[in-house]
Amino acid sequence: MKFAGLVLAALLALPAASAHAQTVSYAEAAGLLAQHCGEDIMRHCRGVNLGDGAINQCLAAHQAELSPACAANHESIRQMTEARAAAQQAVYKVCDRDRAEFCPGVVPGDGNLVSCLLEASKVVSQACTAALTNAGYR
Amino acid sequence: MRAAKKQEMGTMTLSRVTLAFGALCAGAALSLGAVSPAAAQAFTPNAEIVQGLTSSVSDVPGVSAEALRDLAKAHMQYQGPPESRPPLALQLDQLAQINVEIEFDLNSAMVKPSSYRTLGAIADAMHNPVLLGYKFLVVGNTDATGTREYNMKLSQERADAIAQALTSTFRVDPRRIESVGLGEEALQNTKNPDAAINRRVQIFNIGRTGPLPQQ
Repeated sequence: MKFAGLVLAALLALPAASAHAQTVSYAEAAGLLAQHCGEDIMRHCRGVNLGDGAINQCLAAHQAELSPACAANHESIRQMTEARAAAQQAVYKVCDRDRAEFCPGVVPGDGNLVSCLLEASKVVSQACTAALTNAGYR
Repeated sequence: MRAAKKQEMGTMTLSRVTLAFGALCAGAALSLGAVSPAAAQAFTPNAEIVQGLTSSVSDVPGVSAEALRDLAKAHMQYQGPPESRPPLALQLDQLAQINVEIEFDLNSAMVKPSSYRTLGAIADAMHNPVLLGYKFLVVGNTDATGTREYNMKLSQERADAIAQALTSTFRVDPRRIESVGLGEEALQNTKNPDAAINRRVQIFNIGRTGPLPQQ
């Protein structure tokens, strides 16, 4: 468990301007959950679905009965998904000045804003660029 | 004799893009320790999904879960064996669409862990900048084993389970997702009503969202 926590901490502690995303895709996180906890889920959480945090709650409730790999990793994997979601949410705040400067009149929420910021990638701020990267948008 | 149990909605080949999810899943065999920032390639494995769901028509006809549900229910009036019923004309061919393989537990709306990565990949595609401005319809279909009413109910629950995972765990805006189950009313292979190809999940691009105020 400590090891997994360290990996995540290392992942999150990278400099903000890194060219690489500090988050992983939803597919990757979901794949890791299946890999480490697939059998535990079928054993302890049969009938429970992924949505609404139900699987995470079920795994937490059965913590003592889980396989070592699942017990050690499921919380870190949940945090990976949360990190990507937070990064996507953060774009609008972090890039707000860039929006005002480079994408005036573009309404957030219809997908046009991210496209505009990406088109303006050569001039948007470093912070906004990093936010777009962490969100998986570039 | 028809088996009474429903295991899964399965693959497909007739949509515009056939996805090699097996290959995708094989690529998932990373240990947690191997997860590094360098591995975080945004969307690369999902290029096919994005491509399949990218709308090729600007004027998408009005398609909604509610309209399809009504059509499917109306279609239940036709009696007789599946192969003798008139086809359900859904007029969805011109929509950008993909068929995906999602494994469900027996007689259940529970998505098996083996399909988690696929769900995540679909979510990644829906978060791709190319698709951010679009709405999607998740359609569940069963084969013809079991009763029509049961199939209708189960397919709706399964389509809902996918939509629920996309909108909660993977944060796709719920205003961008609709879900409908068509039971066994829209068989792809009517000559073989129990064929695996009939157990499928389809995802359609149903047009622009328009502005969605931040919540």
